[in-house]
Amino acid sequence: MNLSVRKIVISGILGAISILLGVTRLGFIPVPTPAGHATIMHIPVILGGVLEGPVVGLITGAIFGLFSFLQPGAPFFADPLVSVLPRLFIGVVSYLVYYATRKINNVLACILAGAFGSVTNTVLVLGMATVRGYLPSEVSISIGVLHGVPELIVAAILTVILVKGIQRIRPVEEKN
Amino acid sequence: MELTKNITLGVYLPGETVIHRLDPRTKIVIASLLIFLLLMIKSYPAYGMILLFLTAVIFISGIPIRYALCGLKPMLPVLILMWFFQLFLYSSPDAHVIFSWWIFTATDAGMHMGNLISLRVFFLFGATTILTLTTSMVGLTDGMESLLNPLRKIGLPTQELVMTMVIALRFVLILAEELDKIVKAQMARGVAFDRGNFIQKTKKLFPVFLPLFINAFKRAEELIVAMESRSYTGGKGRTKMKTLHMGRVDLIAGLIMLIFSAIVILIIFTIQPQI
Repeated sequence: MNLSVRKIVISGILGAISILLGVTRLGFIPVPTPAGHATIMHIPVILGGVLEGPVVGLITGAIFGLFSFLQPGAPFFADPLVSVLPRLFIGVVSYLVYYATRKINNVLACILAGAFGSVTNTVLVLGMATVRGYLPSEVSISIGVLHGVPELIVAAILTVILVKGIQRIRPVEEKN
Repeated sequence: MELTKNITLGVYLPGETVIHRLDPRTKIVIASLLIFLLLMIKSYPAYGMILLFLTAVIFISGIPIRYALCGLKPMLPVLILMWFFQLFLYSSPDAHVIFSWWIFTATDAGMHMGNLISLRVFFLFGATTILTLTTSMVGLTDGMESLLNPLRKIGLPTQELVMTMVIALRFVLILAEELDKIVKAQMARGVAFDRGNFIQKTKKLFPVFLPLFINAFKRAEELIVAMESRSYTGGKGRTKMKTLHMGRVDLIAGLIMLIFSAIVILIIFTIQPQI
Protein backbone atom coordinates (compact mmCIF):
# COMPACT_ATOMS: atom_id res chain seq x y z
CA MET A 1 0.00 0.00 0.00
CA ASN A 2 1.24 3.43 -0.89
CA LEU A 3 0.21 6.78 0.48
CA SER A 4 0.58 9.83 -1.74
CA VAL A 5 2.03 13.05 -0.32
CA ARG A 6 -1.42 14.62 -0.76
CA LYS A 7 -3.08 11.98 1.37
CA ILE A 8 -0.41 12.24 4.09
CA VAL A 9 -0.62 16.03 4.32
CA ILE A 10 -4.40 16.36 4.16
CA SER A 11 -5.01 13.67 6.78
CA GLY A 12 -2.36 15.23 9.00
CA ILE A 13 -3.86 18.70 8.82
CA LEU A 14 -7.44 17.51 9.26
CA GLY A 15 -6.27 15.47 12.24
CA ALA A 16 -4.65 18.61 13.61
CA ILE A 17 -7.93 20.53 13.33
CA SER A 18 -9.73 17.73 15.13
CA ILE A 19 -7.18 17.78 17.96
CA LEU A 20 -7.32 21.58 18.05
CA LEU A 21 -11.11 21.58 18.44
CA GLY A 22 -10.59 19.19 21.33
CA VAL A 23 -7.86 21.03 23.24
CA THR A 24 -9.48 24.44 22.87
CA ARG A 25 -12.93 23.03 23.75
CA LEU A 26 -14.19 24.86 20.66
CA GLY A 27 -15.37 21.54 19.29
CA PHE A 28 -17.86 21.17 22.10
CA ILE A 29 -21.21 22.82 21.69
CA PRO A 30 -22.89 23.46 25.02
CA VAL A 31 -26.17 21.54 24.95
CA PRO A 32 -28.44 21.67 27.96
CA THR A 33 -28.18 17.98 28.92
CA PRO A 34 -26.63 16.10 31.83
CA ALA A 35 -23.55 15.15 29.83
CA GLY A 36 -22.91 18.76 28.92
CA HIS A 37 -21.59 18.90 25.40
CA ALA A 38 -22.35 17.88 21.89
CA THR A 39 -19.21 17.47 19.81
CA ILE A 40 -18.24 18.66 16.38
CA MET A 41 -14.73 17.21 16.56
CA HIS A 42 -15.70 14.60 13.99
CA ILE A 43 -16.36 17.17 11.24
CA PRO A 44 -12.74 17.09 9.97
CA VAL A 45 -13.05 13.33 9.65
CA ILE A 46 -16.24 13.66 7.60
CA LEU A 47 -14.51 16.25 5.41
CA GLY A 48 -11.54 13.94 4.94
CA GLY A 49 -13.84 11.18 3.71
CA VAL A 50 -15.84 13.46 1.43
CA LEU A 51 -12.96 15.43 -0.08
CA GLU A 52 -10.14 12.88 -0.25
CA GLY A 53 -11.69 9.44 -0.07
CA PRO A 54 -11.88 6.57 2.39
CA VAL A 55 -8.16 6.28 3.19
CA VAL A 56 -7.87 9.88 4.37
CA GLY A 57 -11.17 9.50 6.23
CA LEU A 58 -9.81 6.40 7.96
CA ILE A 59 -6.48 7.97 8.96
CA THR A 60 -8.09 11.20 10.16
CA GLY A 61 -10.57 9.14 12.15
CA ALA A 62 -7.69 7.20 13.69
CA ILE A 63 -5.93 10.43 14.73
CA PHE A 64 -9.17 11.81 16.18
CA GLY A 65 -9.76 8.54 18.03
CA LEU A 66 -6.21 8.29 19.34
CA PHE A 67 -6.38 11.85 20.59
CA SER A 68 -9.67 11.35 22.38
CA PHE A 69 -8.23 8.19 23.92
CA LEU A 70 -4.98 9.75 25.13
CA GLN A 71 -6.46 13.07 26.26
CA PRO A 72 -9.99 11.96 27.09
CA GLY A 73 -12.77 14.53 27.37
CA ALA A 74 -15.15 12.10 29.04
CA PRO A 75 -14.20 9.16 31.26
CA PHE A 76 -15.54 6.40 29.05
CA PHE A 77 -13.24 7.54 26.24
CA ALA A 78 -10.33 6.19 28.27
CA ASP A 79 -10.90 2.86 26.54
CA PRO A 80 -9.62 2.37 22.99
CA LEU A 81 -12.60 0.20 22.08
CA VAL A 82 -14.89 3.16 22.74
CA SER A 83 -12.69 6.00 21.54
CA VAL A 84 -10.60 4.67 18.63
CA LEU A 85 -12.49 1.82 16.98
CA PRO A 86 -15.84 3.57 16.25
CA ARG A 87 -14.04 6.62 14.86
CA LEU A 88 -12.45 4.60 12.08
CA PHE A 89 -15.83 4.20 10.44
CA ILE A 90 -16.92 7.87 10.33
CA GLY A 91 -14.82 8.87 7.33
CA VAL A 92 -15.50 5.66 5.43
CA VAL A 93 -19.27 5.96 5.89
CA SER A 94 -19.23 9.63 4.85
CA TYR A 95 -17.22 8.75 1.77
CA LEU A 96 -19.59 5.96 0.75
CA VAL A 97 -22.69 8.12 1.26
CA TYR A 98 -21.14 11.05 -0.60
CA TYR A 99 -20.07 9.00 -3.58
CA ALA A 100 -23.35 7.14 -3.78
CA THR A 101 -25.42 10.32 -3.88
CA ARG A 102 -23.25 12.98 -5.45
CA LYS A 103 -24.48 12.16 -8.97
CA ILE A 104 -27.90 13.43 -7.86
CA ASN A 105 -26.81 16.70 -6.30
CA ASN A 106 -23.57 17.85 -4.70
CA VAL A 107 -25.25 19.82 -1.90
CA LEU A 108 -27.61 17.01 -1.03
CA ALA A 109 -24.70 14.55 -1.03
CA CYS A 110 -22.78 16.78 1.42
CA ILE A 111 -25.78 17.05 3.72
CA LEU A 112 -26.29 13.29 3.71
CA ALA A 113 -22.57 12.57 4.16
CA GLY A 114 -22.39 14.94 7.13
CA ALA A 115 -25.54 13.51 8.67
CA PHE A 116 -24.56 9.86 8.21
CA GLY A 117 -21.01 10.48 9.41
CA SER A 118 -22.36 12.11 12.54
CA VAL A 119 -24.87 9.32 13.18
CA THR A 120 -22.08 6.75 12.76
CA ASN A 121 -20.10 8.52 15.46
CA THR A 122 -23.02 8.85 17.88
CA VAL A 123 -24.39 5.34 17.47
CA LEU A 124 -21.09 3.45 17.47
CA VAL A 125 -19.49 5.37 20.36
CA LEU A 126 -22.53 5.18 22.61
CA GLY A 127 -23.18 1.60 21.53
CA MET A 128 -19.61 0.65 22.47
CA ALA A 129 -19.88 2.56 25.78
CA THR A 130 -23.02 0.58 26.57
CA VAL A 131 -21.55 -2.75 25.54
CA ARG A 132 -18.45 -2.10 27.66
CA GLY A 133 -20.69 -1.24 30.61
CA TYR A 134 -19.86 2.43 31.14
CA LEU A 135 -23.40 3.63 30.55
CA PRO A 136 -26.76 1.97 31.12
CA SER A 137 -28.67 1.57 27.87
CA GLU A 138 -31.49 4.01 28.73
CA VAL A 139 -28.91 6.71 29.41
CA SER A 140 -27.11 6.02 26.13
CA ILE A 141 -30.33 6.31 24.21
CA SER A 142 -31.25 9.61 25.82
CA ILE A 143 -27.75 11.00 25.26
CA GLY A 144 -27.93 9.70 21.72
CA VAL A 145 -31.12 11.62 21.03
CA LEU A 146 -30.23 14.77 22.98
CA HIS A 147 -26.70 15.01 21.56
CA GLY A 148 -26.99 13.08 18.35
CA VAL A 149 -29.69 15.28 16.85
CA PRO A 150 -27.99 18.67 17.34
CA GLU A 151 -24.68 17.09 16.30
CA LEU A 152 -26.30 15.73 13.18
CA ILE A 153 -27.81 19.10 12.22
CA VAL A 154 -24.61 21.04 12.86
CA ALA A 155 -22.52 18.41 11.04
CA ALA A 156 -24.81 18.47 8.00
CA ILE A 157 -24.78 22.28 7.74
CA LEU A 158 -21.04 22.59 8.38
CA THR A 159 -20.20 19.87 5.87
CA VAL A 160 -22.07 21.69 3.10
CA ILE A 161 -20.53 25.07 3.91
CA LEU A 162 -17.01 23.72 4.31
CA VAL A 163 -17.01 21.37 1.33
CA LYS A 164 -18.37 24.12 -0.93
CA GLY A 165 -15.80 26.59 0.37
CA ILE A 166 -12.87 24.22 0.09
CA GLN A 167 -13.83 22.89 -3.35
CA ARG A 168 -13.74 26.46 -4.58
CA ILE A 169 -10.11 27.07 -3.57
CA ARG A 170 -8.67 23.71 -4.51
CA PRO A 171 -6.58 23.62 -7.69
CA VAL A 172 -7.19 20.04 -8.83
CA GLU A 173 -10.82 19.76 -7.90
CA GLU A 174 -13.17 17.45 -9.83
CA LYS A 175 -10.44 16.10 -12.08
CA ASN A 176 -11.32 12.48 -11.65
CA MET B 1 -10.72 34.18 25.36
CA GLU B 2 -7.19 32.84 25.26
CA LEU B 3 -7.34 29.65 23.23
CA THR B 4 -3.71 28.73 22.87
CA LYS B 5 -2.70 29.17 26.49
CA ASN B 6 -3.57 25.73 27.81
CA ILE B 7 -2.21 23.63 24.98
CA THR B 8 0.54 21.36 26.23
CA LEU B 9 0.19 18.68 23.57
CA GLY B 10 3.01 18.79 21.05
CA VAL B 11 5.04 21.23 23.14
CA TYR B 12 8.61 20.20 23.95
CA LEU B 13 10.45 21.55 26.98
CA PRO B 14 14.16 21.12 26.26
CA GLY B 15 16.29 19.86 29.11
CA GLU B 16 19.38 17.90 30.03
CA THR B 17 17.97 15.43 32.54
CA VAL B 18 18.15 11.64 32.38
CA ILE B 19 14.58 11.49 31.13
CA HIS B 20 15.40 13.84 28.26
CA ARG B 21 18.50 11.85 27.33
CA LEU B 22 16.71 8.51 27.16
CA ASP B 23 16.36 7.01 23.71
CA PRO B 24 12.97 8.05 22.31
CA ARG B 25 12.21 4.39 21.61
CA THR B 26 12.64 3.53 25.29
CA LYS B 27 10.33 6.37 26.25
CA ILE B 28 7.66 5.41 23.74
CA VAL B 29 7.75 1.78 24.84
CA ILE B 30 7.56 2.75 28.52
CA ALA B 31 4.66 5.13 27.85
CA SER B 32 2.79 2.48 25.86
CA LEU B 33 3.34 -0.08 28.60
CA LEU B 34 2.06 2.40 31.15
CA ILE B 35 -1.07 3.06 29.08
CA PHE B 36 -1.60 -0.67 28.71
CA LEU B 37 -1.31 -1.13 32.48
CA LEU B 38 -3.72 1.75 33.05
CA LEU B 39 -6.35 -0.02 30.97
CA MET B 40 -6.18 -3.12 33.18
CA ILE B 41 -6.10 -1.43 36.57
CA LYS B 42 -9.26 -1.64 38.65
CA SER B 43 -8.10 -0.91 42.20
CA TYR B 44 -6.81 2.06 44.15
CA PRO B 45 -3.43 0.67 45.30
CA ALA B 46 -2.40 0.05 41.69
CA TYR B 47 -3.30 3.64 40.81
CA GLY B 48 -1.21 4.69 43.81
CA MET B 49 1.77 2.93 42.24
CA ILE B 50 1.20 4.73 38.93
CA LEU B 51 0.93 8.05 40.76
CA LEU B 52 4.23 7.33 42.49
CA PHE B 53 5.87 6.46 39.18
CA LEU B 54 4.62 9.51 37.30
CA THR B 55 5.48 11.86 40.17
CA ALA B 56 9.01 10.46 40.22
CA VAL B 57 9.33 10.94 36.45
CA ILE B 58 8.03 14.52 36.63
CA PHE B 59 10.41 15.24 39.51
CA ILE B 60 13.46 13.81 37.72
CA SER B 61 12.65 15.48 34.40
CA GLY B 62 12.24 18.88 36.07
CA ILE B 63 8.95 19.72 34.33
CA PRO B 64 7.05 22.34 36.32
CA ILE B 65 4.08 20.39 37.72
CA ARG B 66 1.78 23.36 37.30
CA TYR B 67 2.64 23.48 33.60
CA ALA B 68 2.16 19.77 33.10
CA LEU B 69 -1.30 19.96 34.62
CA CYS B 70 -2.55 23.11 32.92
CA GLY B 71 -3.68 21.17 29.85
CA LEU B 72 -6.13 19.39 32.12
CA LYS B 73 -7.82 22.59 33.22
CA PRO B 74 -10.32 22.97 30.36
CA MET B 75 -11.42 19.35 30.84
CA LEU B 76 -12.11 19.65 34.55
CA PRO B 77 -15.79 20.70 34.41
CA VAL B 78 -16.64 17.76 32.14
CA LEU B 79 -14.70 15.35 34.33
CA ILE B 80 -16.51 16.47 37.46
CA LEU B 81 -19.87 16.29 35.70
CA MET B 82 -19.12 12.80 34.42
CA TRP B 83 -18.10 11.71 37.90
CA PHE B 84 -21.56 12.62 39.19
CA PHE B 85 -23.02 10.95 36.15
CA GLN B 86 -21.31 7.68 37.03
CA LEU B 87 -22.20 8.09 40.70
CA PHE B 88 -25.93 8.23 40.06
CA LEU B 89 -26.31 6.05 37.02
CA TYR B 90 -23.97 3.14 37.40
CA SER B 91 -25.01 0.41 39.75
CA SER B 92 -24.55 -3.30 40.23
CA PRO B 93 -26.91 -5.73 41.97
CA ASP B 94 -24.93 -6.00 45.22
CA ALA B 95 -24.13 -2.30 45.55
CA HIS B 96 -24.72 -0.45 48.81
CA VAL B 97 -26.78 2.68 48.59
CA ILE B 98 -24.97 5.68 50.06
CA PHE B 99 -27.91 8.03 49.88
CA SER B 100 -30.96 8.51 47.75
CA TRP B 101 -33.04 11.58 47.13
CA TRP B 102 -35.98 11.91 44.77
CA ILE B 103 -34.97 9.97 41.63
CA PHE B 104 -31.24 10.07 42.41
CA THR B 105 -29.66 7.09 44.04
CA ALA B 106 -25.93 7.09 44.72
CA THR B 107 -24.33 3.70 45.22
CA ASP B 108 -20.81 2.84 46.30
CA ALA B 109 -20.32 0.90 43.06
CA GLY B 110 -21.14 4.05 41.12
CA MET B 111 -18.72 6.08 43.21
CA HIS B 112 -15.88 3.59 42.69
CA MET B 113 -16.62 3.44 38.96
CA GLY B 114 -16.55 7.23 38.78
CA ASN B 115 -13.33 7.44 40.80
CA LEU B 116 -11.50 4.75 38.88
CA ILE B 117 -12.45 6.03 35.46
CA SER B 118 -11.60 9.63 36.37
CA LEU B 119 -8.22 8.46 37.69
CA ARG B 120 -7.62 6.60 34.46
CA VAL B 121 -8.37 9.75 32.45
CA PHE B 122 -6.04 11.75 34.65
CA PHE B 123 -3.14 9.33 34.33
CA LEU B 124 -3.60 8.74 30.60
CA PHE B 125 -3.38 12.46 30.19
CA GLY B 126 -0.33 12.63 32.44
CA ALA B 127 1.56 9.84 30.68
CA THR B 128 1.12 11.28 27.18
CA THR B 129 1.82 14.84 28.28
CA ILE B 130 5.06 13.86 29.99
CA LEU B 131 6.15 11.91 26.90
CA THR B 132 5.63 14.84 24.53
CA LEU B 133 7.04 17.41 26.97
CA THR B 134 10.33 15.56 27.33
CA THR B 135 10.80 14.25 23.78
CA SER B 136 11.49 16.44 20.77
CA MET B 137 9.35 16.04 17.69
CA VAL B 138 12.28 14.66 15.70
CA GLY B 139 12.96 12.17 18.47
CA LEU B 140 9.35 11.04 18.56
CA THR B 141 9.27 10.62 14.79
CA ASP B 142 12.51 8.65 14.61
CA GLY B 143 11.51 6.53 17.56
CA MET B 144 8.08 5.66 16.20
CA GLU B 145 9.43 4.96 12.72
CA SER B 146 12.06 2.67 14.11
CA LEU B 147 9.60 0.86 16.40
CA LEU B 148 7.00 0.38 13.68
CA ASN B 149 9.53 -0.68 11.07
CA PRO B 150 8.74 -4.42 11.33
CA LEU B 151 5.17 -3.65 10.23
CA ARG B 152 6.48 -2.46 6.85
CA LYS B 153 7.11 -6.08 5.99
CA ILE B 154 3.38 -6.81 5.98
CA GLY B 155 2.76 -3.83 3.71
CA LEU B 156 1.75 -1.09 6.14
CA PRO B 157 3.12 2.32 5.10
CA THR B 158 4.40 3.00 8.61
CA GLN B 159 6.76 5.83 7.73
CA GLU B 160 3.97 7.69 5.96
CA LEU B 161 1.58 7.14 8.86
CA VAL B 162 4.15 8.46 11.32
CA MET B 163 4.63 11.47 9.05
CA THR B 164 0.86 12.06 9.18
CA MET B 165 0.90 11.96 12.98
CA VAL B 166 3.81 14.38 13.07
CA ILE B 167 2.10 16.82 10.69
CA ALA B 168 -1.02 16.61 12.88
CA LEU B 169 0.92 17.35 16.09
CA ARG B 170 2.92 20.15 14.48
CA PHE B 171 -0.08 21.84 12.97
CA VAL B 172 -2.09 21.88 16.20
CA LEU B 173 -0.03 24.81 17.45
CA ILE B 174 0.15 26.56 14.07
CA LEU B 175 -3.59 26.29 13.56
CA ALA B 176 -4.20 27.32 17.17
CA GLU B 177 -2.51 30.65 16.48
CA GLU B 178 -4.55 30.98 13.32
CA LEU B 179 -7.74 30.22 15.23
CA ASP B 180 -6.82 32.80 17.84
CA LYS B 181 -6.45 35.42 15.12
CA ILE B 182 -9.76 34.52 13.50
CA VAL B 183 -11.62 34.58 16.81
CA LYS B 184 -10.12 37.96 17.71
CA ALA B 185 -10.93 39.33 14.27
CA GLN B 186 -14.54 38.25 14.61
CA MET B 187 -14.72 39.66 18.12
CA ALA B 188 -13.41 42.97 16.80
CA ARG B 189 -16.31 42.91 14.37
CA GLY B 190 -18.66 42.62 17.29
CA VAL B 191 -19.35 38.89 17.61
CA ALA B 192 -19.97 38.03 21.27
CA PHE B 193 -19.04 34.35 21.49
CA ASP B 194 -20.17 33.84 25.05
CA ARG B 195 -23.67 35.22 24.69
CA GLY B 196 -26.92 33.77 23.43
CA ASN B 197 -28.64 30.43 23.68
CA PHE B 198 -27.45 27.15 22.23
CA ILE B 199 -28.54 27.87 18.65
CA GLN B 200 -27.17 31.42 18.61
CA LYS B 201 -23.87 30.22 20.04
CA THR B 202 -23.60 27.50 17.42
CA LYS B 203 -24.38 29.93 14.63
CA LYS B 204 -21.48 32.11 15.75
CA LEU B 205 -19.10 29.20 15.17
CA PHE B 206 -19.70 29.15 11.41
CA PRO B 207 -17.78 32.39 10.64
CA VAL B 208 -14.87 30.92 12.64
CA PHE B 209 -14.88 27.48 11.08
CA LEU B 210 -14.96 28.46 7.44
CA PRO B 211 -11.81 30.64 7.50
CA LEU B 212 -10.07 28.08 9.73
CA PHE B 213 -10.67 25.21 7.32
CA ILE B 214 -9.98 27.29 4.20
CA ASN B 215 -6.68 28.50 5.64
CA ALA B 216 -5.78 24.98 6.73
CA PHE B 217 -6.40 23.67 3.23
CA LYS B 218 -4.36 26.49 1.70
CA ARG B 219 -1.51 25.55 4.01
CA ALA B 220 -1.98 21.91 3.07
CA GLU B 221 -1.66 22.71 -0.63
CA GLU B 222 1.53 24.68 0.06
CA LEU B 223 2.95 21.86 2.12
CA ILE B 224 2.12 19.32 -0.60
CA VAL B 225 3.99 21.40 -3.19
CA ALA B 226 6.91 21.87 -0.81
CA MET B 227 7.17 18.16 -0.05
CA GLU B 228 6.72 17.03 -3.63
CA SER B 229 9.29 19.48 -4.94
CA ARG B 230 11.76 17.99 -2.47
CA SER B 231 10.86 14.53 -3.80
CA TYR B 232 9.43 13.15 -0.57
CA THR B 233 8.80 9.48 -1.16
CA GLY B 234 8.03 8.22 2.31
CA GLY B 235 10.06 5.39 3.72
CA LYS B 236 11.71 3.82 0.68
CA GLY B 237 15.49 3.96 0.90
CA ARG B 238 15.65 6.85 3.32
CA THR B 239 18.67 7.17 5.55
CA LYS B 240 19.17 9.26 8.67
CA MET B 241 21.90 11.73 9.50
CA LYS B 242 21.48 11.01 13.20
CA THR B 243 20.76 7.40 14.06
CA LEU B 244 19.35 6.32 17.39
CA HIS B 245 21.53 4.48 19.88
CA MET B 246 20.49 2.72 23.03
CA GLY B 247 22.79 3.26 25.98
CA ARG B 248 23.20 2.11 29.55
CA VAL B 249 20.56 4.62 30.73
CA ASP B 250 18.03 2.92 28.51
CA LEU B 251 18.91 -0.47 29.92
CA ILE B 252 18.43 0.82 33.47
CA ALA B 253 15.17 2.56 32.56
CA GLY B 254 13.94 -0.62 30.91
CA LEU B 255 14.80 -2.67 33.98
CA ILE B 256 13.06 -0.20 36.29
CA MET B 257 9.96 -0.30 34.08
CA LEU B 258 10.06 -4.10 34.02
CA ILE B 259 10.16 -4.31 37.82
CA PHE B 260 7.47 -1.65 38.10
CA SER B 261 5.17 -3.45 35.64
CA ALA B 262 5.70 -6.71 37.51
CA ILE B 263 4.66 -5.06 40.79
CA VAL B 264 1.60 -3.45 39.22
CA ILE B 265 0.54 -6.69 37.55
CA LEU B 266 1.01 -8.47 40.87
CA ILE B 267 -1.24 -5.88 42.52
CA ILE B 268 -3.79 -6.23 39.74
CA PHE B 269 -4.02 -9.97 40.27
CA THR B 270 -3.84 -10.10 44.05
CA ILE B 271 -5.98 -7.19 45.21
CA GLN B 272 -9.74 -7.46 44.93
CA PRO B 273 -10.90 -5.06 42.20
CA GLN B 274 -13.25 -2.27 43.28
CA ILE B 275 -15.62 -2.78 40.39
